[in-house]
Amino acid sequence: MNGHPTREEDFDLYALGALDGDEKQAIESHLAACSECARKLAAAKGRMALLAFAAPRVEPSPGVKERLMRQLHSTAEGRAYSPARIEPESMGGGFFGRWWAAVLAPAAVALALATIFLWIQNNRLHDEDQRLQSALRTQQNQIDELRHIADVIQAHDTVSVLLKPMPGMGQGTAQVLYNSGMGELVYDGWISPPPPEKSYQLWMVPMDGNPISVGVFNPVTADSSTWMAKMPQGVTAKAFAVTLEPAGGMPHPTGPQVLVGPAT
Amino acid sequence: MSSDAALMERLVERDETALAALYDRYGGMLSSVLYRILRDTQAAEEILQDIFHQLWRTSARFDPNRGSLPGWLMVIARNRAISRLRQRRPEAGEQLVENTIILPCSVESDAAQQELLGRVKGALDGLPKEQRVALEMAYFEGFTHSEIASRTGDPLGTVKTRLRSAVETLRRKLGEQSAHG
Repeated sequence: MNGHPTREEDFDLYALGALDGDEKQAIESHLAACSECARKLAAAKGRMALLAFAAPRVEPSPGVKERLMRQLHSTAEGRAYSPARIEPESMGGGFFGRWWAAVLAPAAVALALATIFLWIQNNRLHDEDQRLQSALRTQQNQIDELRHIADVIQAHDTVSVLLKPMPGMGQGTAQVLYNSGMGELVYDGWISPPPPEKSYQLWMVPMDGNPISVGVFNPVTADSSTWMAKMPQGVTAKAFAVTLEPAGGMPHPTGPQVLVGPAT
Repeated sequence: MSSDAALMERLVERDETALAALYDRYGGMLSSVLYRILRDTQAAEEILQDIFHQLWRTSARFDPNRGSLPGWLMVIARNRAISRLRQRRPEAGEQLVENTIILPCSVESDAAQQELLGRVKGALDGLPKEQRVALEMAYFEGFTHSEIASRTGDPLGTVKTRLRSAVETLRRKLGEQSAHG
């Protein structure tokens, strides 16, 4: 593509990542050299980024912020690394110069090879370190999650609700433990995986008002799973229900009820 | 309420409360898109933590005149989640300084985020179902035209037309509303 993209939507489609092959290559080669189109692309990226708001609201667990703030303290601040500059020493000329050169040239090659070897080793160790840190973070997350679940289960005002399958809606069962004061909920149950393009969604039905979405989940097997979710604090539940919804969940229940349990 | 730019200045001065404030402001929004793409709470929360840690480490490179912070956060969250989903390395252009993104409106306050949520949902609800499905497959699953065509079984030309119409409508509606909003 030598000229500007002919249609404004081209920028949006590129920002969305929908273009491939020649179309993608053509716009990329043009963008590299056109500041006017780069500006249009920046606006298109912003428009497409707003699609994030189409995702159903899911609040992160409080543990994420705690871990993030802990991580700031556990990670060393970046320090500018400035390797010492090595000035070549004068070799002198004549016979001795050539003699030194004959000795030092293979040594320099050996040094270069050793440097490359150490650099590769260093990269390998760095990758391994990253992997171990990631594994450690994962384990820490799991421990925090389990502690949190234990807190909810042990609280004296936590209410247990048994959810049973609706007739003709397959098999499954679940227990919801919720604590209105803490605004926390633990779901523990098993259910067959949802059909393609569908998700299960857990709803809290309050004493007054419309059902409130608590979480969307997509079990890949019928094994038991346990997870936590936030719920509005101070709201008393009349019932809980799991419905089958379009993939990703809906703002209000639209699909059939799969599991239902009264809270009172 | 401190602006994003003011919080970023404090972040450069290593003020942890500024990072906490930015997390409170954008953590929920990012968590939602990460979870929507990955359907995995643990993976979503790992990426969320990494993004804010990257923000902490590289805040000095941020220039508010070049682009929007929430715009960058939303783009990087989507890129990371899709890369995790596809088991591939994140694409280039993740650095704060590289990614110039201009949001058509402010999302700094809760109220602005709530309003925008309604506007985006309204714009999407107004799309014909096939266009909306194609748009969501592209955005939330990271599929290209060709990949969507092969997954849905629709002709490639049809998919291209649907996506083009969808982004054109979105651009018009969000643009109009931003102009009025």
